[in-house]
Amino acid sequence: MNKVFIGIDVGSVSTDVVALDVEGNILSTQYLRTNGQPIEAAREGLRGLKEEFNESIEVLAIGTTGSGRQLTGIMVGADVIKNEITAHATATISLVPGTRTIFEIGGQDSKIIFLKDGMVTDFAMNTVCAAGTGSFLEHQAERLGIPIEEFGDLALTAKKNVRIAGRCTVFAESDMIAKQQYGFSKAEIINGLCEALVRNYINNLGRGKKLEPPYVFQGGVAANKGIVAAFERELNHEVIVPKNYNVMGAVGAAILAKEHIERTGKTTSFRGFECADLEFTPTSFICGGCDNSCEVIKVQMDGKVVAMWGDRCGKWTNSVA
Amino acid sequence: MKVAFPYMGTTVIYKKLLELLGHDVIEPPEPTQRTIDLGVKYSPEFACFPLKVVLGSYIEAVEMGAETLITSGGHGPCRAGFYGETHKKILKNMGYDVDIIVFDDYKRDIVGTINKVLRVKNRKPWIVVWKAIKVVYAMAKALDRIEQRIEKMRAYEVNKGECTKAWETIKDLFDHVKNISDIEKAEMESNRLLDEIKLVDVPEKDRIRIGIVGEIYVVMEQSINLRIEETLGSLGAEVERSQYLSQWIDFNLKPGAAAKEHELSILKKGEKYIEEIIGGHAKQTVGHIVDYAERGFDGVVHLMPFACLPELVSQSIIPTISKEHNIPVITLSIDEQTGAANILTRLEAFMDLIRNIKRTKTA
Repeated sequence: MNKVFIGIDVGSVSTDVVALDVEGNILSTQYLRTNGQPIEAAREGLRGLKEEFNESIEVLAIGTTGSGRQLTGIMVGADVIKNEITAHATATISLVPGTRTIFEIGGQDSKIIFLKDGMVTDFAMNTVCAAGTGSFLEHQAERLGIPIEEFGDLALTAKKNVRIAGRCTVFAESDMIAKQQYGFSKAEIINGLCEALVRNYINNLGRGKKLEPPYVFQGGVAANKGIVAAFERELNHEVIVPKNYNVMGAVGAAILAKEHIERTGKTTSFRGFECADLEFTPTSFICGGCDNSCEVIKVQMDGKVVAMWGDRCGKWTNSVA
Repeated sequence: MKVAFPYMGTTVIYKKLLELLGHDVIEPPEPTQRTIDLGVKYSPEFACFPLKVVLGSYIEAVEMGAETLITSGGHGPCRAGFYGETHKKILKNMGYDVDIIVFDDYKRDIVGTINKVLRVKNRKPWIVVWKAIKVVYAMAKALDRIEQRIEKMRAYEVNKGECTKAWETIKDLFDHVKNISDIEKAEMESNRLLDEIKLVDVPEKDRIRIGIVGEIYVVMEQSINLRIEETLGSLGAEVERSQYLSQWIDFNLKPGAAAKEHELSILKKGEKYIEEIIGGHAKQTVGHIVDYAERGFDGVVHLMPFACLPELVSQSIIPTISKEHNIPVITLSIDEQTGAANILTRLEAFMDLIRNIKRTKTA
């Protein structure tokens, strides 16, 4: 029987599930597309995990993170529901000790996390715009008719530099068209996009802050060699891409769950793999109790209300014992 | 004369002053999504968020029958000083027949200010005015004392939301006061209400204190800043704001040097980073961060309206202050596009960061 700690990261683009053994080694990773259905993706991940271990698995603790952390956390009965900044930092501290700066670029958000002595000292997250994220690249790749998987390699073949306006996805597009007219190749334009994204990222998130090596780059976009190279040129320093760069959030959630159980001595509240097959429906309604008109979220499991939140006064939240 | 005022913070206070002067007061509703939508629709796109919300609030007040709007002006080189005029123009263009009385710095236009005072005075004898001012000032002080108590309690309440509910009841209690002795009674009753709220006992070393600094409107008006105080409270932090109405009165309106001492000492603390008053509350912002660091707070949340020029200046200096004074600061910029999920994620991570620092400090 494998004793494991599970971490689930439900993001906008991908949903990742990992299992760690008692020493913290990664035993299994499931990387799925969220496709706008976080619950389904998390279920799929859990089923995959169960199959991989041929049902010989005992879950000691489970943690969730990512934008879908709350709902997924309720579904699986998570011991820890953590924000993705803390989760990512936790994973990096454990897998790449000594890191000072983490670049994390995901589907729709990007973060920079500063560490010192294995502790988060500062962080920033994109706020107003997604021009520095994976979705920006994916959109442009699609426009140029290049599969996102080949994007990075193609960027590396560029012979000349071209500057693309990267402040806004839409304006970047018109700039690309203009630059195509000037006779730049696809590879050069793609390389220009990678540089625009990195420039945008550093200006936006790293503003006024000192970036110190070692640098670690993680999140889905770290698969893109063009971006990695653009980072290295911008910083004039090596950038480390860890082996499990695309599931670091889930690894962090698993580690946090492990720490929580070890610290409190509690047993896990995991609902068991059966939870992947239970009927699970979130609904929301506007409470008419007062002028605040709060949007209350109600989650039912097999017809029973398991959680409610979103009300200011706590009337509904407190109604679920 | 049916009068209204911009909605900001504890509005029972302004309402009381105008009522005691015998005005027919129309209290605009607390800003909702509708208020914001109205304001955004009729404001210039690049105007800052407070201008838009206040405009929406004015429109709602006018719809309810307000004929005159009374507001304070801004001083210093920030767009806020031009708000009154801008609002006037927009409302006029929209076809509303409404008058706006803006109280700017009286030193700039003494005669004009006197004329405005006489209009608001509403032909009441000066003794009535004096009494009204005294009552309202006492009320502002009392309400701020109670609110500060709530801001500390909220982090530890057993049943989520009890403090906020009590605060609503308390504001209603104060809505009915008529004189100083009523205020004393109301304050006692309020404290009794708060005494009844069950709290979790948290040892001193585990208590987290966060200061909230920034532009006055986004700091004071909870309906548009994602209820930052309640949010931080539910994450387990005691909070204190850089602005309270009674402090604003002390500095801007109350005569005598003693009343200005607190604000001046804050400004002094920020002098190293921003020498001049550059408009808005930028200098206060940096001063308050230093003050919170010196008073042993664990962190600071800096709020600014999106693209607010003075606060952009303070934002760019904050990393230096944060480093020199060893206090974590997070800046949140707020406007109608602000996503709650993103802000909550960052606040949660900020709390984790603070807890970690605290843990290693005590270990």
